[in-house]
Amino acid sequence: MRRHVSALTEKAFASHRERDWRDLEELVVSAQAGLRKMAHEGIVRLSPLYRSVCADLAAAQAARYSAPLVSYLRDLTASAHTVLYGPHGVSSRGSLRHAWLVAFPRAVRQHRGAMALSALLFFVPFAIGAVLALRDPAFAFRVVPEAMLRPLTEAYAHGFSDGRGDGEGAMMAGFYVYNNVGIALRVFALGIFAGLGSAFYLVHNGLSIGAVLGYVTSQGAGGNIVTFMLGHSALELGAIVLAGGAGLSLGWSIVAPGDRTRLASLQHRARELLVIVGGAAVMLCLAAMIEGFWSASSAPDGVKVGVGSTLLVLVTAYVLLAGRTRERA
Amino acid sequence: MQPLDAEVAIETPEHIVFHYRVAGPARRAIGHVIDLALCYGVIAAVSVLVALVLGLSLTSLGASMKAALGLLLVALFLAQWMYFAAWEARLGRTPGKMLVGVRVLTTAGRPIGWREAILRNWLRAADFLPIAYLAGVVSMALGARFQRLGDLVAGTIVVIPERAVAARAIELFPPAEPRELATLPDVVALDAEERAAIELFLRRRHTLGVAREQELARIVAEPLGARLGYAHPDASRLLALVYDRAVNAGRTEASPPSLFPPASGAP
Repeated sequence: MRRHVSALTEKAFASHRERDWRDLEELVVSAQAGLRKMAHEGIVRLSPLYRSVCADLAAAQAARYSAPLVSYLRDLTASAHTVLYGPHGVSSRGSLRHAWLVAFPRAVRQHRGAMALSALLFFVPFAIGAVLALRDPAFAFRVVPEAMLRPLTEAYAHGFSDGRGDGEGAMMAGFYVYNNVGIALRVFALGIFAGLGSAFYLVHNGLSIGAVLGYVTSQGAGGNIVTFMLGHSALELGAIVLAGGAGLSLGWSIVAPGDRTRLASLQHRARELLVIVGGAAVMLCLAAMIEGFWSASSAPDGVKVGVGSTLLVLVTAYVLLAGRTRERA
Repeated sequence: MQPLDAEVAIETPEHIVFHYRVAGPARRAIGHVIDLALCYGVIAAVSVLVALVLGLSLTSLGASMKAALGLLLVALFLAQWMYFAAWEARLGRTPGKMLVGVRVLTTAGRPIGWREAILRNWLRAADFLPIAYLAGVVSMALGARFQRLGDLVAGTIVVIPERAVAARAIELFPPAEPRELATLPDVVALDAEERAAIELFLRRRHTLGVAREQELARIVAEPLGARLGYAHPDASRLLALVYDRAVNAGRTEASPPSLFPPASGAP
């Protein structure tokens, strides 16, 4: 049987085809360094060369040529394959614009159940924390360390008439990026444990922030902390809720996979949710800028409340309405 | 024969099947530690430089120092959440992965894009729990392809791409004498395992001492000779002769150009 496959000895086969193999090797190396830098002739040759070496591999396997030759050809075609076939769905130039104008708000609405649950898991403990700390300030110490709460309260009691010192805004903005965006990404990632990780983080964060608000208010600096928080809270708390909702949805895709296998369901859902998490991260970066440079500035309270409320309306409208018209089509 | 190592088979549109060796936790952990050292090492070095230039004062932080601290925190954020994703999305591997010789592919064997890179690296937070990537290691142990949670979500695998060197075909040297071929059957049938074993021996025999070479050869040569009704005083030579007949009988040294048309530049 074998003899019908190829009439060439291994040596003759190799010496006959070797030049193409070397050519492909060189082309792969230069393509790995960057397709843009490759010569035109090289790009044109790559694909037919790759296909002919694939044919060589098939022939070598069928003819049962020796193992080193077969593995050489296999590794050569494998390395050419990774160069030749790019990742799926190479993004077009306009996709970033599409992502934030259309895809992000649509994805949020598509997973509105998870988002609503996330909002409940955050804002109910938030309200409970605030009420309990208002009625009994000692409760706040059980959620947030006293050593953190006391200086915080003093700072709010002092007010913002002086604004922040030079450079302090940038430092705090950097901190908020590091801390808050990190929290949002973690809230999402831990959703893989059937959503429980996300739920825990949402409840914990809601309770802590509520307790801080309640405690500071009980110490008589309520006005200041509200004007401080209002500036960025629409973006910041909104983003945490969205990231948490994405985590809950990720977990739910394993619990209730529908027609897919659990793994396929998880992978499919994760792709849908990525735009939400990315959007939440961007929202938090914006919130960090506001929180660093604006929320603690010496601008009058009225202006701060006005700006904060406007942002709240804008963010809500964006998430609920943007990208809607084409959605129906 | 199914290899014992963890391997994945990937079929391309050309109906060629590659077998990739999947990278295990130890190799990946080493790569990861290298990445951490590189990434945070660079940040630490730059921070020290900036602190020296701005004039470090422990008692009070100047305005520019505070701003620099803000930038440092942003850099730490990027190190934690974007360093791995950016390298893998652009090149399929981080510097640490390059050094340990692994790269990330999709389970279909394609290079990964931004989506996969970001998903698999943001899920690191889950893999890390409860401590030192325990969840990730458990996930790797439960599957056949050493996928941590991030790999499962993004649909990726970490493989060890190999580059075998082209070896010369095995040649019968010195050429067979008529006396040797007189009793050798015209058709010698060897199954794949026999072939692979003899081939490996013929490639390695030059590294062995003469006595050891004969000793090893006899293990196969004696039953094989008995089966074929062929005898040769030199067991190693017998294997070479039998192998040559099995592989090259009926094949020609001349190359018919029509069989493998050279790949031309024309698309």
